[in-house]
Amino acid sequence: MNEGPLVRWDWVWSHLDDIWELTVQHVVLTVIAVSLGLVIAGPLAYYGYRHYAARGPITWVAGVLYTIPSLALFAFLVPFTGLSILTAEIGLVGYTLLILFRNIVAGLDAVPDGVIEAATGMGYTDRRRFWEVELPLAMPVIIAGIRIATVTTVGLVTVTSLISYGGYGKFILQGLNRFFNTQIIIGAVLSVLLATVADVLLIRLERRVTPWAQRRSE
Amino acid sequence: MSGFWADAWTFVLDNLSGDGGIPELLVDHIRISAFTVVLASSIALPGAMWLGHRGRGLAAAVAVVNIGRAIPSFAIVALALPVTIAIGLGLGFWPTFLALFALALPPIFVNTVTGVSEVDDSLVESARGMGLTESQILRTIELPIAMPVILSGVRLSAVQVVATATLGALVGWGGLGRYVVDGFATQNNPKVFIGGLLVALLAITTEIFFSFLERVLIPKGLRKGKKGEPSHERAEAH
Amino acid sequence: MKLFASLAALALVAVACGGGTETKEDGPTIVVGSFGFGESEIIGEIYRQALEAEGYTVEHNVQIGPREIVKPALESGEIHIVPEYVGSALEVGFGVTPSGDGEASRDQLEELYEPLGVSVFGLAPGEDKNTYIVMKAFADQYDLESISDLAGVGRTIEFGGPPECTERPRCLAGLQGTYGLDLNFTALDAGGPLTMAALTGGEIELGLAFSTFVFNPDVVLLVDDLLLQPDENIVPVVNNVIIDAYGSDIEKILNAVNSKLTTADLAAMNKRFGVDKEDAADIAADWLADNG
Repeated sequence: MNEGPLVRWDWVWSHLDDIWELTVQHVVLTVIAVSLGLVIAGPLAYYGYRHYAARGPITWVAGVLYTIPSLALFAFLVPFTGLSILTAEIGLVGYTLLILFRNIVAGLDAVPDGVIEAATGMGYTDRRRFWEVELPLAMPVIIAGIRIATVTTVGLVTVTSLISYGGYGKFILQGLNRFFNTQIIIGAVLSVLLATVADVLLIRLERRVTPWAQRRSE
Repeated sequence: MSGFWADAWTFVLDNLSGDGGIPELLVDHIRISAFTVVLASSIALPGAMWLGHRGRGLAAAVAVVNIGRAIPSFAIVALALPVTIAIGLGLGFWPTFLALFALALPPIFVNTVTGVSEVDDSLVESARGMGLTESQILRTIELPIAMPVILSGVRLSAVQVVATATLGALVGWGGLGRYVVDGFATQNNPKVFIGGLLVALLAITTEIFFSFLERVLIPKGLRKGKKGEPSHERAEAH
Repeated sequence: MKLFASLAALALVAVACGGGTETKEDGPTIVVGSFGFGESEIIGEIYRQALEAEGYTVEHNVQIGPREIVKPALESGEIHIVPEYVGSALEVGFGVTPSGDGEASRDQLEELYEPLGVSVFGLAPGEDKNTYIVMKAFADQYDLESISDLAGVGRTIEFGGPPECTERPRCLAGLQGTYGLDLNFTALDAGGPLTMAALTGGEIELGLAFSTFVFNPDVVLLVDDLLLQPDENIVPVVNNVIIDAYGSDIEKILNAVNSKLTTADLAAMNKRFGVDKEDAADIAADWLADNG
């Protein structure tokens, strides 16, 4: 059932419009998930940063969400929220929460106490100090978290193919359904490419946002 | 929703034994995960330790793990199937194992190379000065110091494997993923829930097991402090 | 701005003249939903393209999954049109035993769907039945022609099928009950590559397949001598939302294409999909060109 070359390039060329469509779907699902993840994890992380006791419970909840196998979570949600983008996003956002929460908190924690004291000494209000000193210094670790969350989400989007979305995962599922290696391989390769591109873009973003870190040589 | 919880509980009670019951699937799931992690460790550790000792292969290691992390586990499982069929190993266990093995290697390999190479050079130098052989240095100095990072890698790998083994049900294997896939196909939500819950519990148990292992294998003076490290190595557990 | 004004004028005219039914431009987008296998995707594409050719805006939610997921989606209006199989629609969808005759099943199905706001259109001549298959070597070894002959094997037989087979009365239960077979079941897929690979690889001895989707010359389709499987003609099943919006046009279009769909057509199209790896959309387009 699988004669012929491993990858049928003619098939790839004739399906470029499908590839484009799936790219858009994959990117949209990922961007929504990570953005919403930040919107939710951000304030939670700030709260956890300020109130040490809150970290345990928040980490625990996010951790439980994270450990549930993605397939199970999506399958479980379908009867309630249908085969909709909501179902996909509930799962995808849930998985970003632990990574983002932990990294934002860790990033803020890592800001040296001396710097905070100096800022307070110079007359910064708590609010100004947070936005102008603590947050920028925490950026490298926070963006590291966003990178991991993004790459993980790109991978997870493929699983949503089982609930009629999937982005590139649609190729993987269809290829699996009819033993079409080309489709599986292209689906996998494109996912890796997308994750890599996203990773590189985020590294660039990190450099833009932390210009002082670049002046130090490694 | 009370009907749901009752159904879920009934499902658990009905499946406490027998074919396709919870113990059978649980044991299968644990077996394939343990087998994979042990095999991956046996293969990755020696090479990675030596590379770390020589101070080589760091860039390659990082590149490997970045790409490895980017490949969706679903894709790896799907790709493993035509491979195992082409080489006559069929479906079910072998493609699942192959995919899990591919997933298990990177964290173990990278963490080991990084951990061993980060051991303070001055320690290694003075050991050399005292006349220890290269392999003695590796065994008695670098390995104990790198142990936290190495174990962290194996732990990551193990949790990832346990969670991803769920996908094996998509290529004809069993394990706890069977409840998820079959439950979804028959819209039996309590079944899906129990399947997911059991895997989650197994993953948590794995984490706890490794915490315990760390306590046993790492000398007190080398254990990590209270402020947790940021998540550069956090598992992509799916 | 001018474009907007003219569209608005057009809409006003349409509403004034059209009465209850909406124009194709401002009505709801029609959503076709197919089951999780190639043949359903192809028929879904035929329906979609036939409607699009008449100016409707149609989407196709491709290969959603088994009926257990598709039927609730149809009833809730998440999808509007499903190419159903008349026997299984009755049995699996409503738990009602079909008589075996396609037309009778169709009428029963229509009655059962009415209170749910779903209409059932006309039968296609073509059907695709669940078939049980074995490898030729196995058939020769035990002299198997029909499913009843399997009793002659005299031991537990390894059987593979879709996960939902354990819940379906004409699947595992039917083989065990009606045919009295002793089976060990492995969950694979719905007559797809997993089942085929397991059968050819010897991991199962008996598999479930779709009668129009078997292309391996070494595979034998066992005759259903006790008529476990009912008629399974293709029939469009439609959520009334679409009929309320667009009127009887929908029924006319779908019946026109559906009535030309033969079993031979299905087998030929499936081969192009499964063996030649062609796209369902292309296969459907070709069929419509030949039969439109």
